[in-house]
Amino acid sequence: MTIAENLFENLRLELRRGCLTLAVLAQLRQERYGYTLRKALADDGLVIDESTLYPLLRRLETQGLLASEWREEEKRNKRFYRLTPDGEQMFAQLLAEWHAINASVTATIQSTINPSL
Amino acid sequence: MELLDRYLEAVRKHLPWQRQDDIVAELRANLESQLEEKEEALGRPLTPVEAEAWLKQLGSPIQVAAGYQPQQYLIGPNIFPTYRYVLKLACSWATIIYSILTVVQLFVAQSPSNNALLDAALHLPWVLFMAAAWVTIIFAAMEFAVMRGYVKLPAMCAPSPHWTPGNLPPLGHDAASGKKPPSYAKAVAEVVFGILFLGWLLLIPQHPWLMMGPGASWLKTSPFELAPVWVPFFWCAVAMNIVQNGWNIEALLSGRWQRPQPIKQAIFKALGLVPAAVILTAPGRIVVLLRHPATDQAQYGLQLDAINHYFHWSAEVICALIILQLGWGAVQLTLNSYRKRAAAMR
Repeated sequence: MTIAENLFENLRLELRRGCLTLAVLAQLRQERYGYTLRKALADDGLVIDESTLYPLLRRLETQGLLASEWREEEKRNKRFYRLTPDGEQMFAQLLAEWHAINASVTATIQSTINPSL
Repeated sequence: MELLDRYLEAVRKHLPWQRQDDIVAELRANLESQLEEKEEALGRPLTPVEAEAWLKQLGSPIQVAAGYQPQQYLIGPNIFPTYRYVLKLACSWATIIYSILTVVQLFVAQSPSNNALLDAALHLPWVLFMAAAWVTIIFAAMEFAVMRGYVKLPAMCAPSPHWTPGNLPPLGHDAASGKKPPSYAKAVAEVVFGILFLGWLLLIPQHPWLMMGPGASWLKTSPFELAPVWVPFFWCAVAMNIVQNGWNIEALLSGRWQRPQPIKQAIFKALGLVPAAVILTAPGRIVVLLRHPATDQAQYGLQLDAINHYFHWSAEVICALIILQLGWGAVQLTLNSYRKRAAAMR
């Protein structure tokens, strides 16, 4: 990997990090277990490594934003996650913040591409 | 699948022990679901090569387990700026104190060896390493205690509520004129070398070889000797050096080393006139004498007069140069003050 590619990869990961949390919280308004969550995110175009997603779920649970429960499904014990009330509140706040950032960045980019707009 | 069991067992070894079973069970459920789906899509079980490629793509066991570990720092970002500042101070002061102790030891020693200074210099990296190690250990312990909630973040590491931009050191004259401002390392080096120079100076009367090298033995057998005027000259030089070191240490402690001090520099240059004046006003302009005048006057008399003449002439030149430097400094100070006043009125 060249220096430029490495730099791009670091910046891309930095850009994605916060968005992934938001996307996970959004998906977990509906109860899911790790693998189906990963698939749902991938179907929406957000591919996440197992080594990133599963520890992230644990961290969000420790922070009180997710609740989990072991349950049997298709003859296999699985750990299902869903948003807690605190998680829902946090998701709403983060979503508003994301919309604001998105609007600002879009406006900034548009004004620099075409200053007359 | 045996390979998956081996993989999960390898992950388990690197997990926090309280949550090993829980994490491995969850990983197993997720990976088995994934495997099942892959095999369904293929319509057959994965071959050993495919299974190996799949697990390889998941990441090494240590890498997977690392994601479940809490983020840990030896010295975290909250404490690190203070750590770096204290480390710099500790290393600087270790160098200064070590230099003072070295000079005192050399001075106290009856016959310091030629290699004593070299040995002391070679020992300095070890002193610095120990200072840095102690500072690092203390800050690592602080980080450990703060992260586990045993203590609050010390006030010295937290941003002070009394901080105001008005307390920041002003831009020096040099900075304003685009020149590089004095660095902390330079200020510390000035103190260290000033102390070492003072030690060297104080050792010269007992150990002339420190100044003259092998020529010191010639001095003993020479028909000439130094006149008593050199005693006040020597103590004037020592006093000047002590004053300069005191000033430098005071500037370092008070933070004034960042500011240019033209008046102080001018005063110090003016003080340089004192030892030169001592030589100039030597009784009879005699700075060198004959050891045995009764027997050597005829042979060395003319040479003695020439030596005394050159010493006197050198002292006159030095005095003239110092006065010229002082004059030039005064002109520069006046011009700068005029420029500042003009800029302020614009």
